[in-house]
Amino acid sequence: MSDYEPKVVCFSCKFGWGYLTDEDTLSRKIDNWVPLICTGKIDATHILDAFKAGADGILILGCPEGDCHYQDGNYEAKKRVYLIRRLLESAGIEKERIRIVLSADPEGESIPRLVDEMRRELAKLGPARKGPAKERKPKEAIKGRGGK
Amino acid sequence: MWKTEATGVPHVEPAVRQCLPPCQIKCPINEDIQRTNVLISLLPDDPDLAKEGMLQIGDYLYDKNPFFNICGYICGLCELECNYLKKGGAIKRRLLKRFLSDVYTEHLRELGELKIVKDKEKVAVIGGGPGGLMCAYHLGRKGYQVTIFEASDRLGGALWLVPDYRLPKDILQTTVENLVRIAGIDVRYNSKLGAGQLTMERLKNEGFKAAFLATGLPYPRVLTFERQSLEGQDLAGVMYGHTYLYEVSHNNIAADYFKGKRVIVTGGGNVAFDVARSARRQGGKVTVVALEREDKDHRDGIPADEEEIRGAWEEGIRIVYSRGVRRIIGQNGRFKGIDCPACVSVFDKEGFNPRFDCTDCIDLEGDVLIITVGQAPDRSMLQKEDLLDEHGRLDVDHLTLQSRSKPWVFVGGDIRRVGFMVEAMGEGLVVAESIDRYLRGVDMKEGRRRDYEGYQIPLRRDYKPEPRVPWMPPEDRMHFKVFEQGFTLKEAIAEARRCVTCGPCLSCKACVSIGFQKSLSPVEVDETRCSGCGHCVYVCNYYSAHLISAGGKIVSETDMFRCKSCGMCVAACPSQARRMVDDATAERIATLYSSLA
Repeated sequence: MSDYEPKVVCFSCKFGWGYLTDEDTLSRKIDNWVPLICTGKIDATHILDAFKAGADGILILGCPEGDCHYQDGNYEAKKRVYLIRRLLESAGIEKERIRIVLSADPEGESIPRLVDEMRRELAKLGPARKGPAKERKPKEAIKGRGGK
Repeated sequence: MWKTEATGVPHVEPAVRQCLPPCQIKCPINEDIQRTNVLISLLPDDPDLAKEGMLQIGDYLYDKNPFFNICGYICGLCELECNYLKKGGAIKRRLLKRFLSDVYTEHLRELGELKIVKDKEKVAVIGGGPGGLMCAYHLGRKGYQVTIFEASDRLGGALWLVPDYRLPKDILQTTVENLVRIAGIDVRYNSKLGAGQLTMERLKNEGFKAAFLATGLPYPRVLTFERQSLEGQDLAGVMYGHTYLYEVSHNNIAADYFKGKRVIVTGGGNVAFDVARSARRQGGKVTVVALEREDKDHRDGIPADEEEIRGAWEEGIRIVYSRGVRRIIGQNGRFKGIDCPACVSVFDKEGFNPRFDCTDCIDLEGDVLIITVGQAPDRSMLQKEDLLDEHGRLDVDHLTLQSRSKPWVFVGGDIRRVGFMVEAMGEGLVVAESIDRYLRGVDMKEGRRRDYEGYQIPLRRDYKPEPRVPWMPPEDRMHFKVFEQGFTLKEAIAEARRCVTCGPCLSCKACVSIGFQKSLSPVEVDETRCSGCGHCVYVCNYYSAHLISAGGKIVSETDMFRCKSCGMCVAACPSQARRMVDDATAERIATLYSSLA
């Protein structure tokens, strides 16, 4: 496991993170970084596709609660992350592999640190499972969610 | 939506539809409020680093509004229409501008004169108040050779009458001085129209091709009862508010002039409160007598600003509502008191027409009476210059402000209709456009009528309460220094962030100007994929997505005027029927993912 380097895809909202630093300068310090406008834009397929493409984890950096430029895109993202975690778990992907932080850092200095932190924790988990999980039990996984 | 002005001209210009946030519609010069709020919210929190950004935002505002720093002290009209008003308090835009003013007013001295070749016609601006200066500034920027004819020895007009505790004199002085220097405007002081040789005809002979008459309201209005001028206004101890504030502004009145005196101020407008609070600061025991009612929401409600009334009340000024003045009582040539009947109604269908109940009268005793019931224009000058119609009203076109009798003359500002500073500035802006059109010989009206459309407050989970703005306690503010505390950088950023940017993106584009995105991406709906489920309608906070019936099925649609391109509807769409046109994000994600393998 010593040569294993988990790949973390990091999405961050430009209205809260790193807007005071030149984007190119920052992106040299952060691997697999996608600055975008509003984390509410992050689609379930974006997340699933990342795992399909070989990512080991996803870090979403949204604006502080109540500070979204688009009213509540950060809440939307948070809600989506919680729902997708359930889905991923049913596919055998640990919920720790997707993380959302609602805060702000205009200089963006903390982004590389947050990515590293997550990478270190993922290293303990090992690579994300790819392909269909043999022992998955979707029905059981969904049970207990209120079954709307 | 819009009304036609009865001008006798059968042709009426169609209104141009323009969507703006409600604050910008309320602002007579449609300042870019939303855009600059967003820019302030993105300032660095280090004061040294923020300064550069503040100057940039200031430069941007100054371009259109060379008075924005003064607005930061005395305007705030936009706050009355803020969508946040009922959700926790209007965004304190005035204080945000005062915050910019804190660095920008000093910076004005460092700005060089604009490099503009003045090769266009000579234009005369008569009156150097906010209206005249605004017009001169914008014409100067267009290359006209502008000369301001100012009756007094200082520019700024009625702004000088605003007491120092609301607008410090050095801010005003610095602003007007630099405005004429930066825009390259000539000023002739002590040049009063109608006095001596100075007439419109003479200006024409001197080669001025157009003139803007903005002489304001230089005379106080006298006190009347049942349309008759009241006797006793020449008693010792009776003065006019306008005159009093003028003397205060020239430091001609001693700091304790009213010490031990009972001062009665008649009037219910902001000027009356300026007078009352100034007299209080000079030692007087002050009572304000207003015709209007205390309830501001009533038709006959007091017109003075809420903050003025609260401030006066805190400072120990007694306010007597719904009372007029029937008689001024004098003794041995000195003022002694007033006889005040109850006022039962102020306005009727015809307009201002107060009615009184003379069976309900009170006597108020005092040593000084300051009459502040409005100001009046120089009518004899208007008459001499032939600018009135047969009813004695100003004969100007309401859209272009062009005189109907003298097409080369334009009239605006307080002289036309008394109002706030920024309303006069708005008319200055209108006239600058009119004079430019007039001298270029193009259509005076085409495309100028605007049909503004406002926006509701977007849906949002939580609204934040307004910040508390500290005032010095009343006992510590009996002086003429500003007693209201301005924003710190941190507070300004937080307040600007509170703005929910309810207006459209098209008139803002702050995110584009700071490079967050290259352009605004419209949302496109693929009707063949759309199932009309309505997820997008649910998720959109701007009432932009809605369902329509098209080709026999229900599909969703996006109102491009309301859409903010946030992409939440795209993310929410279960059938991938929605996409953002020209949005690089999806591509960027795809490239990144292909590099992961």
